Amino acid sequence: MIVVLEVFTLALLTLFALTSVVAAYLAIRERDLVRAVVFSAIQSSMYALIYYVLMAPDIVLVYIPVSVGLIPAVLLFVIKKTERYEGE
Amino acid sequence: MYLGEILVAIGVFCDLAASIGMLRFPNFYVRLHAATVGTIGGAFVPLIGVALIALGAEWLGTYRFFLAGASIITAILIVILAPVGTHVLARAAHRAGVVAVKPKVVDHLEEDRARIKG
Amino acid sequence: MSLEQQVTLFILAVFPLYLLAFTLYIIRAIRGPTIPDSVLAIDALSFDIAAFLALLSILYRSPILISCAVVLSLWVYALDVYVSKYFEARDMGD
Repeated sequence: MIVVLEVFTLALLTLFALTSVVAAYLAIRERDLVRAVVFSAIQSSMYALIYYVLMAPDIVLVYIPVSVGLIPAVLLFVIKKTERYEGE
Repeated sequence: MYLGEILVAIGVFCDLAASIGMLRFPNFYVRLHAATVGTIGGAFVPLIGVALIALGAEWLGTYRFFLAGASIITAILIVILAPVGTHVLARAAHRAGVVAVKPKVVDHLEEDRARIKG
Repeated sequence: MSLEQQVTLFILAVFPLYLLAFTLYIIRAIRGPTIPDSVLAIDALSFDIAAFLALLSILYRSPILISCAVVLSLWVYALDVYVSKYFEARDMGD
């Protein structure tokens, strides 16, 4: 039973890590800055879940408000002040 | 305890159905339906089930009451916040015209707003 | 079979179904055609993950981990409100 639990936990970690890598790549490549903010939110929430599986709940409690709450708020405010699409 | 396991099983079924629907549905406004199934059936019901399991789990020690109370609080928050968030998102998407209403029969909201605007 | 083993076996049986559902949600969140699609997928995904974290804290036998689920389900709603407020403000001309 312990072996099955270890295998499933490693599968969960692999899923989160692959998703964060793909989301970081797309957030860098994206021309539309609002979609880049959404991809950045996906990537940092996956990092928070990796911290959760690695048994660090105190880091998760700080990481989720900063990454999902504050950084998209500030970035969307800045994008609203300037322009949305990235120029050449 | 067994009631909690039944509730968790119902939640897993709703979760799978909502994710398949989220992938297969053609349109944003149709996907809202799948999101409703995923949040209420897939998150509210298993959290109540987890609370019932944790109340009967004696191997967790005294902290099992903490687990049960926190999961009930999370369930109440989800049942309040998820419909509000979905409505806000749908209203913003329709107002700003980000998503085109593609296979449409009639769109009364757009007609009303055009009439009010003159 | 004791009660503890039975609950552990049940959660282990439920685990791969949750993994499959998360994979499908993540696919929709990454290749959603428009922005509200991906935000909606993140929303549903995070509420389901909040339910799954409660199961994991029973499975790992450490009830302190449950407090992350409350924080997750609260702040993802904030992301939702931010994105929709951005769209509405751009429409109203302010």
